[in-house]
Amino acid sequence: MMNLKQLASHAYRQYELVTCINMLEPWEKKLINGFFLIMLSLVIFSSFMYLPDYLQTLLQFVTPPTWYNSSPEGAAYAAQKMARS
Amino acid sequence: MGNFDGDSGTVFEQSYATTNGNGKLANGNGAASFSPPEKEELLSQRKFSAPAYTEIRTRRCHSKPTNDAKSPSLINYHPEKKSTSNGHASALSESKPNQAEGKLSPAEEHRQKTSFEEVPLHTACLTYLGFYLLMILGYINQLLFVPKVATEKGRDGYVTLYDAFESFYSRYVYRRIKDCWNRPICSVPGEELTLKDRVTDDYGWSFKFTGTETRCLNLGSYNYLGFAAATGRCADESEESARQSGLAFCSSRCELGDNEQLRELEAQTARYFGVEDAIVFGMGFATNALNLPSLLGPNSLVISDEKNHASIILGLRLSGATTKVFKHNNMRDLERVLRQGICHGNPKRGGQPWDKVMILVEGIFSMEGSIVRLPEVIALKKKYKAYLYLDEAHSVGAMGSRGRGVTDYFNVDPKEVDILMGTFTKSFGSAGGYLAGSKKLIDFLRTNSHAHCYAASISPPIAQQILTSMKTIMGEDGTDIGRKKIHQLARNTRYFRRRLAQLGVITYGHEDSPVVPMLVYLFSKIGAVVRTLTTRHIAAVGAGFPATPIMEGRIRFCLSAAHTKEQLDFALEAIDEIADDLGLKYSRKPRDPNPVVY
Repeated sequence: MMNLKQLASHAYRQYELVTCINMLEPWEKKLINGFFLIMLSLVIFSSFMYLPDYLQTLLQFVTPPTWYNSSPEGAAYAAQKMARS
Repeated sequence: MGNFDGDSGTVFEQSYATTNGNGKLANGNGAASFSPPEKEELLSQRKFSAPAYTEIRTRRCHSKPTNDAKSPSLINYHPEKKSTSNGHASALSESKPNQAEGKLSPAEEHRQKTSFEEVPLHTACLTYLGFYLLMILGYINQLLFVPKVATEKGRDGYVTLYDAFESFYSRYVYRRIKDCWNRPICSVPGEELTLKDRVTDDYGWSFKFTGTETRCLNLGSYNYLGFAAATGRCADESEESARQSGLAFCSSRCELGDNEQLRELEAQTARYFGVEDAIVFGMGFATNALNLPSLLGPNSLVISDEKNHASIILGLRLSGATTKVFKHNNMRDLERVLRQGICHGNPKRGGQPWDKVMILVEGIFSMEGSIVRLPEVIALKKKYKAYLYLDEAHSVGAMGSRGRGVTDYFNVDPKEVDILMGTFTKSFGSAGGYLAGSKKLIDFLRTNSHAHCYAASISPPIAQQILTSMKTIMGEDGTDIGRKKIHQLARNTRYFRRRLAQLGVITYGHEDSPVVPMLVYLFSKIGAVVRTLTTRHIAAVGAGFPATPIMEGRIRFCLSAAHTKEQLDFALEAIDEIADDLGLKYSRKPRDPNPVVY
């Protein structure tokens, strides 16, 4: 437990140092940390909400069509998808 | 709760004095080194468990509790090695003489001994990003709040005096780590010094003294040979001189300021360097800044190293000469620039030949810790018939087996360098500067130099300090203290640099240069390292933009002959822990697993 705490404090110190946050005044620290937190949470949120769909569409675009031709279900799915769009 | 009030301070002073007597060569106390090691261990423990070394009285927000970090038992003072390290007579024969062995070609030797390790890419990116963040926050700050500084009033229509990038930079970027610079001290800056503690309540806008003091190991002064001391022969003779001749002549050398002592100093300086004549000035910076204009004119070409000191750059600007810059210590680039300049002639006069072509280099570059490649520069100078101006501000005294600068180090005849310039501020522990060279050159300067004609002459005690320390280095005082000091500095330098390389931090420069810049790169790490070192009772100097390129923030350690191995080990151990803590071990070179022999 103690070790974990030390590790966390070490990591936070490294983060403060590489981003120059340790030089800032308290309100600036809050601003920058808040900004980073918001950005991080937005990235996490969007990657959970939108990324799977995007990835699926992307996969469909990049997979060669021969894969569908070999299996009848795949071809049917592609035709269905095209008809829907 | 001062460190030094009451009994604790006197105890500390006493214990400090006794350890000082044991380890120091300046005292010549050879018999003391045979005392039993237990006693020495006890003394060193007493010294570093004294209040000043354990109690942290510096900044409130950044100070760390030190009890866990350095209780006396943890201090690695190598008591078992101490008896050998203190025997100076035996160790002197082991240490390598500090000079070029002459076995390798100059270029190869330079390559082997000088290191400029590349910055890791991610560190470079982070440094720039951090800098952008600081700038953006600075602009936001400036927009939202009125800065607490003097403003101009009633000057409508005038050009503003303060409005520039520099004032923005110093207010909103530099201010955040301002407490790491210009720290007032209240003792002689010898091998240790006393810092006057101060705190800031408004994040660097203003400082208040706390009334306490911190005794620190001094790794920040240019006290290469350890002549800056409050006691000893130099101090006594300077005091004597002040009593005899007063403090100042209040006049320039051309008028009433000339005296026998200064003439003796000039003769001594000329003899020291093995040249015909020398001229001395009261200020090292002015030696460059005011003499270069009298040597150079608008139809002169100057080839200047890119890392040259600000005084040289100012002097060149004042002279109006055409200045071309070559890459730091790069002989190929020097030759390219030199050849191009000479081939094309002066473009302002339609390609007519230059009056003078001068190569301007420093002996030891103070920010880089590198040494000029003098044999190659002299070869190029002869090939292209240029003059050579060598600024030995940092190298005089510190380099060479006899302490006569880089010419001594490379075993070059000093007469091959046309103009030898240097300062008395560093190794001699005094103030002022000199120019040495041929009689003709010095006579020319005596009639033409602004610093000679208009500036006040050197104060007698200061000149006496130079004279005494110079005689000590030359061995004219009948002792070998000077020689021992030079050897001690060389050994300290090699040991410190090798140990730092072993720790895995990146240092720049030549392995024999006593200026050791340790690269920390990030702007925030400069402040963090300097503050943490202060809490560990080590005073070192940080340097960042604009003194260095934006990316290359560094901590500069200056070694001294006054440091002992124990003090260096104390510093190195603190640096090791700090480097682990703050992530300074950037080096990707293989580390030497063998312990470094002092």
